[in-house]
Amino acid sequence: MKHFLPVMFLTLVATAPAAFAQNWEVGVAGGGNFYTSQTFTNPAGNAAAKLASGFIVSAWLGNNTSGQFGGELRYDYEHSDLKLSSDGTNVSFGGAQTNAIHYDAVLRFASHEARVSPYVTAGVGIKDYSGTGKEQVFQPLSDIALLTKTSQFKPLIAVGGGVKFQIASNVQFRVELHDFMTPFPDKVIAPALGSKIGGWLSDFALMAGISFSF
Amino acid sequence: MLSKSYWWKSTLVATLAAAAWGGTFGTVVPIGGQASGVALDQPRGVLYIANFTANRIDVMSLSNNAIQTSISVAAQPSSLAVSPDDHFLVVTHFGNAAPPATSTNAVTVIDLTTSAKQTFALGSPPLGVAFGIDGLALVVTTTDFLLLDPVSGTTTELSTIAGVVAKTLPQPPASFPPNIVAATVGASADGTVIYGFSDTLLFRYDVATQTLTSGLYTSSPTLGPRAISISQDGSYFTAGWTLKDTEFYNISQFANISGALNVGTSAIDSAHHVIYAQMPPPGTLPAPTMQIVASDNLAVTNTLNLPENFGGNSVLSSDGSTLYGVSDSGVMVLPVGALNQAHQVVATQQDMVFRGNFCDRNVATQSLTIVDPGGNNTAFSISSNTTGLNVSPATGITPATITVTVDPNVFQNQQGTVVASLQIQSGQAVNVPQPVRVLINSRQPDQRGSFVDIPGTLVDLVPDPNINRARYYVLRQDQNQVLVFNSKNNTQIATLRTGNTPKGMAITFDQQYLLVGCDNSHYLNVFDLDTLQAVSPVRMFNGDYVQSVASSSNAILAVTRDAGGGNPNVHSISLITNTSSELPSLGVYTNSVPLNSVLTASTNGSSILLAGADGTVMLYDANSDTFTTSRKDFTALSGAYAASNFNLYVVGNNLLDSSGVPITQFESGTGAASGFAFVDPAAFRSTAAAASAGVQSTAPGIIERLDLTNVSNTASLATPIVEAPLLGTTTAAFTRTLAPLPDQSAIVNLTVSGVTILPPDYDAAVAPPQINTVVNAADLSSNIAPGGLITLFGTQLSPVNLASAEMPVPTALANSCLTVNGLPMPILFVSPTQVNAQMPFEAVGDVTLILRTPGGSSDNYNLLVEPNAPSIFRVPAPNNTTVPTIIRNDDGGLVTASHPIHRKANEALVIYTTGLGATSPAVPSGMPAPKNPLAVALTAPTVTLGGVSLPVLYYGLAPGEVGVYQINVSVPGSVPVGLDEPFVITQGSSSTSVGVRVVD
Repeated sequence: MKHFLPVMFLTLVATAPAAFAQNWEVGVAGGGNFYTSQTFTNPAGNAAAKLASGFIVSAWLGNNTSGQFGGELRYDYEHSDLKLSSDGTNVSFGGAQTNAIHYDAVLRFASHEARVSPYVTAGVGIKDYSGTGKEQVFQPLSDIALLTKTSQFKPLIAVGGGVKFQIASNVQFRVELHDFMTPFPDKVIAPALGSKIGGWLSDFALMAGISFSF
Repeated sequence: MLSKSYWWKSTLVATLAAAAWGGTFGTVVPIGGQASGVALDQPRGVLYIANFTANRIDVMSLSNNAIQTSISVAAQPSSLAVSPDDHFLVVTHFGNAAPPATSTNAVTVIDLTTSAKQTFALGSPPLGVAFGIDGLALVVTTTDFLLLDPVSGTTTELSTIAGVVAKTLPQPPASFPPNIVAATVGASADGTVIYGFSDTLLFRYDVATQTLTSGLYTSSPTLGPRAISISQDGSYFTAGWTLKDTEFYNISQFANISGALNVGTSAIDSAHHVIYAQMPPPGTLPAPTMQIVASDNLAVTNTLNLPENFGGNSVLSSDGSTLYGVSDSGVMVLPVGALNQAHQVVATQQDMVFRGNFCDRNVATQSLTIVDPGGNNTAFSISSNTTGLNVSPATGITPATITVTVDPNVFQNQQGTVVASLQIQSGQAVNVPQPVRVLINSRQPDQRGSFVDIPGTLVDLVPDPNINRARYYVLRQDQNQVLVFNSKNNTQIATLRTGNTPKGMAITFDQQYLLVGCDNSHYLNVFDLDTLQAVSPVRMFNGDYVQSVASSSNAILAVTRDAGGGNPNVHSISLITNTSSELPSLGVYTNSVPLNSVLTASTNGSSILLAGADGTVMLYDANSDTFTTSRKDFTALSGAYAASNFNLYVVGNNLLDSSGVPITQFESGTGAASGFAFVDPAAFRSTAAAASAGVQSTAPGIIERLDLTNVSNTASLATPIVEAPLLGTTTAAFTRTLAPLPDQSAIVNLTVSGVTILPPDYDAAVAPPQINTVVNAADLSSNIAPGGLITLFGTQLSPVNLASAEMPVPTALANSCLTVNGLPMPILFVSPTQVNAQMPFEAVGDVTLILRTPGGSSDNYNLLVEPNAPSIFRVPAPNNTTVPTIIRNDDGGLVTASHPIHRKANEALVIYTTGLGATSPAVPSGMPAPKNPLAVALTAPTVTLGGVSLPVLYYGLAPGEVGVYQINVSVPGSVPVGLDEPFVITQGSSSTSVGVRVVD
């Protein structure tokens, strides 16, 4: 029962487009992102951990029905950094990146041929966190948390919305905001002995992009 | 016909010469006459040789060093130069005939492309010729400077010269071109500057501006050899025995020179910062040798045997690989760039130190490695000059390891340091091998202090008054260096380069600069003590040489040796203008002091004491900025000298009051005064038994703590120290060998072997040592194995903190020696509460440790030594923690939680441990582990990580280390991931475990 709801949702969005007349769309977007943080708790002290703000690029293959529904299979790449902070001490790792694949259902508030078409999205997928910086032999705050050169997959829930502008017969420009939510990557930013961490990370990404329909 | 004749003759003579001399560097090319100059024409592959007596230019092929042809020219070709475009060869002819004969002074221009020759008469005898980069030749005569255009043959007079007298022909037999012409001229390799000099004339010609700077000079001895060499850019040059800057001041000058005009040479290699030089000493000419010296301060780096003497100018090939120089037979060719292909012999260490002690009367053994720097196999022999010091084998072929043994029973009655030497000879080697100094110290329990070996000739010692810098400075005269020591651990932290033959140091009153005076430099070196960098030196007025320098709160004074040969005098130094000025008088006294004089200032800067070897004593008062006292109550003075902050002074054994009047004499029964230091109002004084026949005393030194509050009562407490402090010599009568550190942490003495460190309470009653705990030095657990490093914790274990970097590790350090079952143990570090040592490989099972110090012997400490007891070394980590020394091979970093083991990377690890026990081959206790073959532990360890076995690639002693082992493993991908996985080393019945983090 634990995986029932996401599976049901995927089934719905995957079959929905088949019921309508449809066209296809490919696009790319780029922008910036920032993460919320989670807090490590330890008798030695607490430390806020997150990924640093960075940039994001995204590519997708979408299908649009003549109605208000559609779907997009997306790939997102983010370049960032691992960060810890506690009592004025800030530690970074020198590099991190994420790779995510997710499928989002799209609900438009105008037909996809409309000149201006607001939309919202929701989807699920998977996200890989990788620490790519340099491990330090003696890392500050290592008694609380450890920044690690390793990779870790986490399930992803993506929600978002935006506005699409028809700028040519088959060309659209869009501006969108997403929140990519995953459980905290506790192997990449790992708890030290005695530390605890939990919760989810929100990754807010503001992007602008262009797509081509066919 | 001529060329053929000389080819075979020269080849034959060269071959015979090489066979006859052996062990000499270079090839002699006889020319059948006396050469007076050489010029290199590399594009044509030839060297032009001015054959002064045969009236021709011999042309030597650079490919086979054979005279391939000769160019007949006018009489007495005396100097020559090739134009920058290699088009012309210009030759001067010294034909200064004595009347009534007619002079034939001339210059010849040879077109090297057509062989056409034109000879032009000169009105005066030519002194030399050199080309500038502008293609014009500067011809210098006794009366003028001429610019010669070789294309047109026209000359232009730049300037006239007066006061230069040339010799006339004929000259007596056995006169050589440098004696007859007595002048030389040369150009920088870039052609921008031309320098030259004669017996009285010295000049510089700037080619770009066509400006001349010249003047007359006097020199004693004469400025020989009559050879000149100029740096690439003309910023410095050698003229005879001097190394000069652009304004003719001596940056440095060679010491102990004869000044002979016709013996020797010099050639600057700017690219490699060296000078090749032959500078004959006074007296009977020794076998010819050439020195390779540093181009800034003439410090000698190598000495080569020559087949014959040079006798004039030399030139280097453009790549610096070959030196061609005028020599007795004609020309010598030295392939200096291929020196490493010639046989040489050197010892890999300058000093060997044998520290006998009251724990160990066994024969001491050390290894000495003899090598050929070029990797050649060179035969040599080695011998000792001292009974009880033996070498085996006495002959060998490089590379070779010589076993040097010392029988301490031969030296046990010396109670000081015997300075012996090992002489190295080689019939094959072209270099002059330097002897190895062997220091053999025997001490008794009541002798205090520990000495630190410092090779070389040490002449001055100054503590840094700034406590925060925690340093002292030792002046090493033979290598022209100030050695900077960290006073916390007595290790050398920097080397400062001085001019040649440094004699004395001083620190400015503002504590910012270190001043160094040199006996063979016109400059006073200045070093910034914050950055330890040289800053602009002080150019001494009149080119005088600083013998001693002192800084008061008002003035910096220097005693100088007068460059003009006059009496030594006192200069005032300005660090603002970087100049000195000769004081017009010393108060009411004339500014004339004995040559063998020294200066020293009181630490409060109020006064400066001047002491002369002839018994002169003078006092400078900073308030009145003049000398207020001058007395001569003694016929001679020598030894210690010091000035206090309370108007007391010491010279030799004499205590003087504020007027320089002797108050009292210190005892002389313990020997001659060496050092004295006021630590107001008390003082320290050191003495040593007088040297005999120039040999430093082998008796123990003495240090005395004096109470000067009542100067009529100088009752002293004499304490023997481990070796004798240095005493003065005939030419350096005064010694400054005692330096209590300003933070009162130690007393540093300049002694026979280097410096000897004493704690400030060296003479306090000492309680016997007490050992509380003995653990291994790696993880401080009680697991101890033979050959492993151990740590003793306790009280009164040593009077001072001292670490030893000597190899082999000494068995006594700072008055502490340690035995296990009576066997001496190598000691690496001592302090009052901790001693680090190596458990000898012979010690296993139930053993007993005893520590001996001047306070007595510790109680027996019994412990169990297991055959194997692996323990991983710990290193300090933040937050007062430690981490095991497990090293990731990929980046050389320690494995920590934030720098974990990556199991998927097939990572290799190196673990540093102690306690792996006996090895094959066996390594003597205290000796560094060999690199080839590696010393592998007899018992193989197993290593697991998270319960998974790791392949062990190596287990044994770490090469070059004493008591430190290493285990190399690789990490398979099957080890578990975790934050604190057990990393376990098991060897025999012992094991050790630490937790490590493993990630993907």
